[in-house]
Amino acid sequence: MSTLRLQQLHGHIFPENKTRAMATSSSPLTTHVLNTAKGVPGSNMALSLHRLDPLSETWMIITTGTTNADGRCPGLITQQMFLSGVYKLRFETGPYWESLGETSFYPYVEIVFTIDNPSQKYHIPLLLSQFSYSTYRGS
Amino acid sequence: MTESGPLTTHVLNTGDGVPAARMSLSLHRLDSEMKIWTMLSVSMTNEDGRCSGLISREAFVPGMYKLRYETGSYWDSLGQNSFYPYAEVVFTISDSKQKIHLPLLMSRFSYSTYRGS
Repeated sequence: MSTLRLQQLHGHIFPENKTRAMATSSSPLTTHVLNTAKGVPGSNMALSLHRLDPLSETWMIITTGTTNADGRCPGLITQQMFLSGVYKLRFETGPYWESLGETSFYPYVEIVFTIDNPSQKYHIPLLLSQFSYSTYRGS
Repeated sequence: MTESGPLTTHVLNTGDGVPAARMSLSLHRLDSEMKIWTMLSVSMTNEDGRCSGLISREAFVPGMYKLRYETGSYWDSLGQNSFYPYAEVVFTISDSKQKIHLPLLMSRFSYSTYRGS
């Protein structure tokens, strides 16, 4: 295989900015973390988006990011990469509460969901306290 | 003497306003050295959506645990689709003398959990 071809393949497999949250403002998948114990956005929380590879049945990481001051994380995925399948949003809730000097019951929260129709918009909030959380498909 | 053990759960189908009966679920503990999940028990909720006998007091040592609810299969059995293929709740036990009650309130497009009593 030629060097040029290898480089092309490398570029496909490891595209630039694959795992960092992208700056594009129109991700078809969005989230919003709310700290319901304090009535504030869950800001500065690390999170990651994964897709389940159906053949190998393993999770492939798509994006890592951190919620902004409003508890949101824009640029989770591009429309192009948003294929049908099973995805997982993992929220690092344990470190979040630790950074606020508090203990919590959940070391992390993973929400696993199915995307049937990638042309739709999916909004997945996480409402969170130290001892409870809830999620729903919103808009 | 309580038969239910130190860990209980209760699943409610909030979409229909009924207990989620006959939902499969499993309890796992994270092996702290090998960082892999060990399945401890597989159970099914009863007609009231409850499940006891998940673990014995002796086995309920401090550590990280995971309750996995087969919510997707549950909705399938009702002939409905759902947004979540399953729901996993990962929690930390630091004091194994506690009694932990973990409800799961769920519909086809939402779920919530909390540490109850």
